[in-house]
Amino acid sequence: MTETPIDFAIIGSTPLARLVAGLLASAHGKSVVFSGESQSGYRLPRGIDLSVAPLTRPHSWAMLKTGLPETLRLLSRIGGRGAWSRVDPVFFAGGAAGKEALAHMRHMALAFGHGAEPVPASLLGSGREGLLLRDAVLLHRPTLEAGLDAWLVQHKVRRLADDDRLEVRGDGSAELVAGDARIAIGQTVLADDAAIIGHMRAEEWPALLGRQVASTIFTEPTQAIVSPVTCHLDSGLTLVQRQDRGITAMGPGSIDPFAAELGDLLGASRAFRQAGQSSYETLVTADAAPAVGRINGVGPDVLAGFGPTGAFFAPLIARWLSGTASAAESAWLGARLVDRMTNPSMVAEVGTP
Amino acid sequence: MRDNPNRLGTEADHLLQGSAIDRSRPLRFRLNGREVSGFVGDTVLSAVLASGIDTVGKRGGVPLALSAHHAPAITFTALARDLQRALPMERTPATDGADYVTLARRQKRSALARLLRRGGESLGLDLDQPDPLPRPWLGMPGEVGPATDLIVVGAGVAGMAAALAAARRGRRVVLIEAAPRLGGHARLFGTQEGEETPDHNIARLAELIGTTEAITVLTSAEVFGLRPGVVRLHQVEVQDGAPAGRIIDIRAPHIVLATGTLELLPVFPGNRLPGIMGTLEAFDLAHHYGVWAGGSALFATSSSPAYRLAMLAKDAGVLVPRIIDSRPRPQSRFIEFSKAYGITLASGTVAASAARGPKRQGLLLRPRLAMEGFSQPEPVQLVDRVITCGGWQPDLTLWHMAGGESAWNAAHARLEPRNGPPGIALAGSAAGWFTRRACLASGDDAVDALLGRERHPIDDPLIDPLYETPDGPAPIGDLPEADGPPAFLAAGQHYLERPRPVRSRWPGWLPFAPRQTGWSLADTPQPLALADIVSGVQLGAIPASSAGIVAQERVAMVGIADADYGAVERPATALPLPPPYLAGRFAGAELWVVRPGEKRMLEPGTLIHADADTTDPLHAIGVVVRNINGTAIVLVAGAMGQMASAREPGRAIGVQLVAPYREGMDLAAALGSGAGAP
Repeated sequence: MTETPIDFAIIGSTPLARLVAGLLASAHGKSVVFSGESQSGYRLPRGIDLSVAPLTRPHSWAMLKTGLPETLRLLSRIGGRGAWSRVDPVFFAGGAAGKEALAHMRHMALAFGHGAEPVPASLLGSGREGLLLRDAVLLHRPTLEAGLDAWLVQHKVRRLADDDRLEVRGDGSAELVAGDARIAIGQTVLADDAAIIGHMRAEEWPALLGRQVASTIFTEPTQAIVSPVTCHLDSGLTLVQRQDRGITAMGPGSIDPFAAELGDLLGASRAFRQAGQSSYETLVTADAAPAVGRINGVGPDVLAGFGPTGAFFAPLIARWLSGTASAAESAWLGARLVDRMTNPSMVAEVGTP
Repeated sequence: MRDNPNRLGTEADHLLQGSAIDRSRPLRFRLNGREVSGFVGDTVLSAVLASGIDTVGKRGGVPLALSAHHAPAITFTALARDLQRALPMERTPATDGADYVTLARRQKRSALARLLRRGGESLGLDLDQPDPLPRPWLGMPGEVGPATDLIVVGAGVAGMAAALAAARRGRRVVLIEAAPRLGGHARLFGTQEGEETPDHNIARLAELIGTTEAITVLTSAEVFGLRPGVVRLHQVEVQDGAPAGRIIDIRAPHIVLATGTLELLPVFPGNRLPGIMGTLEAFDLAHHYGVWAGGSALFATSSSPAYRLAMLAKDAGVLVPRIIDSRPRPQSRFIEFSKAYGITLASGTVAASAARGPKRQGLLLRPRLAMEGFSQPEPVQLVDRVITCGGWQPDLTLWHMAGGESAWNAAHARLEPRNGPPGIALAGSAAGWFTRRACLASGDDAVDALLGRERHPIDDPLIDPLYETPDGPAPIGDLPEADGPPAFLAAGQHYLERPRPVRSRWPGWLPFAPRQTGWSLADTPQPLALADIVSGVQLGAIPASSAGIVAQERVAMVGIADADYGAVERPATALPLPPPYLAGRFAGAELWVVRPGEKRMLEPGTLIHADADTTDPLHAIGVVVRNINGTAIVLVAGAMGQMASAREPGRAIGVQLVAPYREGMDLAAALGSGAGAP
């Protein structure tokens, strides 16, 4: 039995994956099947969604700045009041390279009218420098995810059922096997790290993408840190402290060395006890910039390397996938294709280990 | 007995007289200034409970029960500030003349209240504090323990069998048991036809272990950290007549986890009020120490061993007005015996809620008939205490800590082990076995598996469900009311509650009406006990398919020896100039030494524009890359002598390109000799 072909299969569990799936269906009239888990309510997070990141490229800042109001309107409609909040994240570093990157970030933020202030070393620890960015947007995944799932249903995005099977082909098309039905899918989008790791064949693996072990540690309440969201450029470690003072820390490394890194970062005055921990694989791009598109124009589309800002690029990515992006958007994404040259990279961003 | 109101008498012939205590040797010690009586063989906790103290303190205004799972750490009054000397009440032997204080903040009370409540039933601790019952040893490093080939954690029948099997195979063994004695919990579960009694079985194994030189036994020793190849434990020993704690790291290539099962807590409002206790703990306290509070007890269960305890309690003179069982038509040999004892049984009935009795005397338990889609409240029962049993969960806490996996078994409503880390094997009920025969065999089998020896099938001779109804899932009672007592998911040191409905005077459809918030366990900043996760699955907060991975993620992990990485050192590396994130940023750009038009140090990141009127960062022609000895190095497409504008926050500064930058060049000379030099 055959059914009407579907335009896109979006695979991934992040807000970016859900937003792209929903926008392709709602704003661009595409038929979409979505394959992703809804686990934010009970699993430990593997990343955060923040409207700022260690970016130094003006075109990246411009894309984020112009896309943010559109994304926020959408998120507010979908997720309601609790889906996002304003925070003043702090980026900090103790090494010379990190400090230099902070200076570049600060000037770029100021140039785009974003409040950016140095953070006194007394708040960060001896030898460290920090940068506070005002009024960034932090998404609350557990709340937002429920809203996004309802939104996908509202726009008739088909959700992969437990018994369904999605077969991704080498040319990027796919087939959905649902009982006796076999439904052709025009193009697959691997929209997060787990999706790429799970579906990209070894022989097609892009040289740009590297796999690394990363960990999340969730702590019991401890003393307050300098900001609800902090990012340590030297280690790539991101800390999110909630109102109850529990900290979610994410970054590269397996659990035990990562815990040691976290202890080192928090200092002796903030002894912490682990309330949860997980270790998993993530992807990093060789030049720390996002990677999109297909290798040599063939195969599934990948969305990788966006760091915390992925969700805020979702409208842009949906337009690009549906062929309605503006010239500037196409140029920005076109420069960040997954098969780009990286030595040197013309789009490199601030890298972390 | 006047000092020990909760100690069962010895006049009648019964099995709950306290096998571990010597009633001919009374003792006294002090806790928080209050005198506590006990007997040699008591733990501090059993003596405190026997003395009539059954409450830890209040949380949100609701008193919570004192139990082995929910007890504060103590220390000697003279060493109150020395956290290194903290001891667990449940593993510390009671000693005559000791003077202890609890290591937790107490509730504020007026002088009059202190006077009136002195000698009351509560330790008076403030459970609203963050981390209200700290256990300092969890964060302390361990000393090196005895060398060994194989570690067995848990000295129930499976653990004892594993230790003996390993010794028979020529290995040195360390057998670690949290309780003060060997034996585990097999006694509660009784005997199947043709088996020796649990008491005989345990005594025989313990005697063999005592005469086996290759086995080192550590009792009152709780393992709280585990990785493949190493365990960390806290042990209480009596040294020079005084209990003392120590933390030990023991390394071995093989580890058997025989950690038994955890009893689940039925979820209903008021399920941790003083007077409510799990079947296993009630049995342990009564069997080993003769401790039993109150003259009447109602049992609320989904598992048959509770019936056995009810009969033992009745033998000891306790009035058992009723046993309620959530299973619709349960069958068990224990149930038949209970009927013969004249105990009223109510099947298909759950504990809907509990509250304190009038004048704080006893408990009011509201049962609810809940069977086959039918639900009806039953008359409230006033009893001295309620004994609960929500079924059993293999204790996989250390297994998860070591990286072991588990998966939900819907038929048994529990998590069961799956793939494990190398060098670690499960045995006994922790491995999912049900009968004592299987648990004993699994001890041998775990050792064979670890040593790469031939393995043999394990026989787990379950009685036909027609005659022995399997355990039901942990019963779920009523929703907690907005201002009523909470319904906890587990009985431990953390306080995860079933969400309450939001009370509002506005209809829910109004936009400003308060919304029922979602239940996000991911936002709960405390580890999740296995019982939390099992209850979470039953309440729909965790999908069954994810229960195993959530259990692994949310186990309370502590760093141990292998994980002592120390301070993080980052080698200093040469900074590339320009850094990679500036590559290709400005077409045809090169590095230049620039001279500002005023005496000022230009910061890295400062954008260079063609003129002072241009501020759009997309139209910048360059950027200050680095400051070397006060001289700005700029990446810009320009020519010698070219003027440009550096955009600092709020102002523009004129700059001039004075010389192409080369590594090692004399910057002062370049600035002095460049175009436009004074």
